Amino acid sequence: MAEKHVEDETIPFYPDHVKTELYVSIGILALIFLVGILGIFLPVGLGDPADPMNTPAHAKPEWYFLALYQLLRYIPKTMGAIAPVIAVIVILVWPFIDRKPDKSPGIYKKRLFGVVIVTIILVAFTILGEVS
Amino acid sequence: MKQPSRRWIGIIVLFTTLLILLTFITTLVKANSPTVKPDEQSPPPDWLLIQSTTVQLEVDHPVILPVPPNTDPCLHCHIVGEETGIWTPLARWFLFGSMGLIFVLGVYRSASVWRSRKPWKPLTKRSYDWVDNRYEISEPLSKFLNKPVPKYATRWFYCLGGITALLFVIQGATGIMLAFYYKATPEAAYASIQFIESEVRFGSAIRMIHHWAANGMVVICIAHMARVFIMGAFKPPRELNWVSGVMLLVLTLAFGLTGYLLPWDQRAFWATTVASEIAGALPVIGDVALIFMRVGWNVTGETLSRFYALHIIALPIITVLMMAAHFIMIRRQGIAKPL
Repeated sequence: MAEKHVEDETIPFYPDHVKTELYVSIGILALIFLVGILGIFLPVGLGDPADPMNTPAHAKPEWYFLALYQLLRYIPKTMGAIAPVIAVIVILVWPFIDRKPDKSPGIYKKRLFGVVIVTIILVAFTILGEVS
Repeated sequence: MKQPSRRWIGIIVLFTTLLILLTFITTLVKANSPTVKPDEQSPPPDWLLIQSTTVQLEVDHPVILPVPPNTDPCLHCHIVGEETGIWTPLARWFLFGSMGLIFVLGVYRSASVWRSRKPWKPLTKRSYDWVDNRYEISEPLSKFLNKPVPKYATRWFYCLGGITALLFVIQGATGIMLAFYYKATPEAAYASIQFIESEVRFGSAIRMIHHWAANGMVVICIAHMARVFIMGAFKPPRELNWVSGVMLLVLTLAFGLTGYLLPWDQRAFWATTVASEIAGALPVIGDVALIFMRVGWNVTGETLSRFYALHIIALPIITVLMMAAHFIMIRRQGIAKPL
């Protein structure tokens, strides 16, 4: 019960908010249905069976680890392994460091800027990892 | 609303029951009549012959042929001995389904007026009152349902978290369907995925949904996190909500990592090798982490077994508990107010 929303305009959770969520869910389910229909005609498919003796030319992890994988080419292996752990710990304790309540909406732009920079770096590394 | 008289309800229920029985008997008769004689069937494809000839192909891995097409009808919907088309069982499902619906409706209406001299009350209301009399759920329930939600919380970027939760439910449903057919051994994993893709009805669609919803879940999870970060919704008093959210993201990635190995093809095998190598490079605990992930120094069938157990048992339990904590904290504190 941290903040009071008395002066705000509120809607009841049921049925108004639930209805909104329901519409979103139906939209997502329709999308999922289309993906399923697509899957009938274009299955995900399989590569060659796993063979421990035969290393393929481009052994790559999943796309969400590609940025990390690419980073490992520029820095020593140990640091590359510590980097994600440190990143996760920093993200975990972030709210305990950045404690001051926001004063003005200008802070949103600063944070958005930060997020965009990090996203661009990650996407760039991922693309580099994909093409190389 | 005027009530139909009880006599008519009784007549309708009786009539429906009779009709269902009659139809069922008719189908049985049809199923047991020898419409297709064994010697009239087309000769089965020479799977043994194909298998013995294609081993000599110029590839360095054993050729795994798709499973021979099943000549028997699938017993989920077909009765033994009837023709293998899809339309007969579909029509039967439709017929029995609608009759069953009529029957259920009749029972519902009958039970609603059954032996009551009081004004008519729907069965749903009646059961709700029955539970409410015993457990007094009405007050907490109305408190839960009528909790005011700020109007800004219906903007689209507030829906990202909910979409992630929905995708998790979809992953659960499709994952259970895939687990019906999947076999987590190095010998059978690849062939069982081929079986799902080629033989199981809608198997390729289910696998496609599971595949793309997994990728979508990672993307939308990160988008939700970025939204929360930009709008400062992690600020006190919502620190623990942020912490549980980060843990959920890590769990999502762990789901991706463990699930990626399961098809047991070259891509999966070497992706897991590379990913566990990164974990193995950690100082001090590197070797322990590597051995925990691979169950030994190499990726083997043991790794597959472990990843499968993590993927379908351990991680879902932890994720559901964490999601419950995440949601309860949101309910207690309300959605953060933007500036």
